[in-house]
Amino acid sequence: MANAKHYIFVSITLGSIAAASALLIGGANYLTREKITQNEINSINKGIVAIFGQSAGIIEQKEIANDSYKYVTYYYAVSKEGSDENIGVAYRTTGSNMYGKISLLVGFNLSNEFVSISVISDEQTYAQTLTDNYIVPVQDGTRDYNDVSCGATYGAKLIRDMINDASKANEAQIWKD
Amino acid sequence: MKREKGYTKKNFLKGIINENPLFVSILGTCPALATTKTLEAAIGMGILFTVVLICSSALVSLLRKVISEEIRTPAYIVIIATFVTIVKMFTNAFLPDLYSTLGVFISLIVVNCIVLGRAEAYASKNNVFDSFIDALGMGVGYTLALLSMAFFREFLGTGAFAFGNIFTFIPLVKVQIIPKEYVMSIFQNPAGAFIVFGLILAVLAFIKNRKEEYKAYLARQEKIRKAEEAKKAALATAANKEEGGNK
Repeated sequence: MANAKHYIFVSITLGSIAAASALLIGGANYLTREKITQNEINSINKGIVAIFGQSAGIIEQKEIANDSYKYVTYYYAVSKEGSDENIGVAYRTTGSNMYGKISLLVGFNLSNEFVSISVISDEQTYAQTLTDNYIVPVQDGTRDYNDVSCGATYGAKLIRDMINDASKANEAQIWKD
Repeated sequence: MKREKGYTKKNFLKGIINENPLFVSILGTCPALATTKTLEAAIGMGILFTVVLICSSALVSLLRKVISEEIRTPAYIVIIATFVTIVKMFTNAFLPDLYSTLGVFISLIVVNCIVLGRAEAYASKNNVFDSFIDALGMGVGYTLALLSMAFFREFLGTGAFAFGNIFTFIPLVKVQIIPKEYVMSIFQNPAGAFIVFGLILAVLAFIKNRKEEYKAYLARQEKIRKAEEAKKAALATAANKEEGGNK
């Protein structure tokens, strides 16, 4: 009987700690979610500018839910500021491997040519090596994105696959679905 | 129970000097190697780490009589993970640049041995105030250790100190001290982190050894002095005896 009481007490204690933790995390989420969403929007806008230049902006966006594309999650039509003239498209891609998650924008011009990438978030363990040896050279145009030997090869391979996935989606004009 | 005089000060300082988690206990080395490329990143990591350590130690201490032996470790991990998640959310919301710079290393605070170690070794046995002071000392000690590594890595690796890249609420300031053509970029790479860490540990070990040698030297001197005094006293006694005999 005493044993049963003890086990009930132990279970209630652990359950209470877990419940209090859930409440605290819920509260923190409530306080921060709007700001986090706003930060994400800002980083997407910054990414669009980084790929297409100062005056670029999003005129249309669409969520992509197509099982044929493993990484593509959003489509953005890009125009010059103050005009409806389309200058290119960007895809938001999200992927992960054993070293962590990466989310990036992949830009294409109207001739369906790859322009550049912009990182929205990079939680890879080798994030710095990946940035220095692969992402920045790809952005500068000094490295072909298919060349993945960079000291963070698994991360680079993931990015290459994400770009290829976006390229496939762009060629298939997926946003028309 | 009566407290030893100056215990709070001693409790705080031990984490900074005698029991420094990074340089003495060699704990938490993974984030120390990964987040010390710049002083700003090291400050950020140090502050986040200290906040998690203080909150979890204080709560563990508060609940120490309720948490029974069988569920100690899972309960501590739930508490630590909660604070890490909260800190992560607030960093993502209000310091997005710090969040993207530290990346996965914020989440990895959960598995940092220092946090669980202090909860287990100290907070579970002491009151909230003492646990708070202990956590604060350990947090400050760890932050200072990260800063000392980041100082050398940023200085030697970039030749400059820059502020305002991560903490964007302060104006961007960059002071170039060494011309760019003379910087040693290896110090910005993981290998450089190991070199700096090794050199700091070597210097600290050298200082510790010298201190111990000096202490041993003083002890030897004291022993010799005492032996000489005893010899002199014995000679004086013998002389006195002889003088007495002559009289």
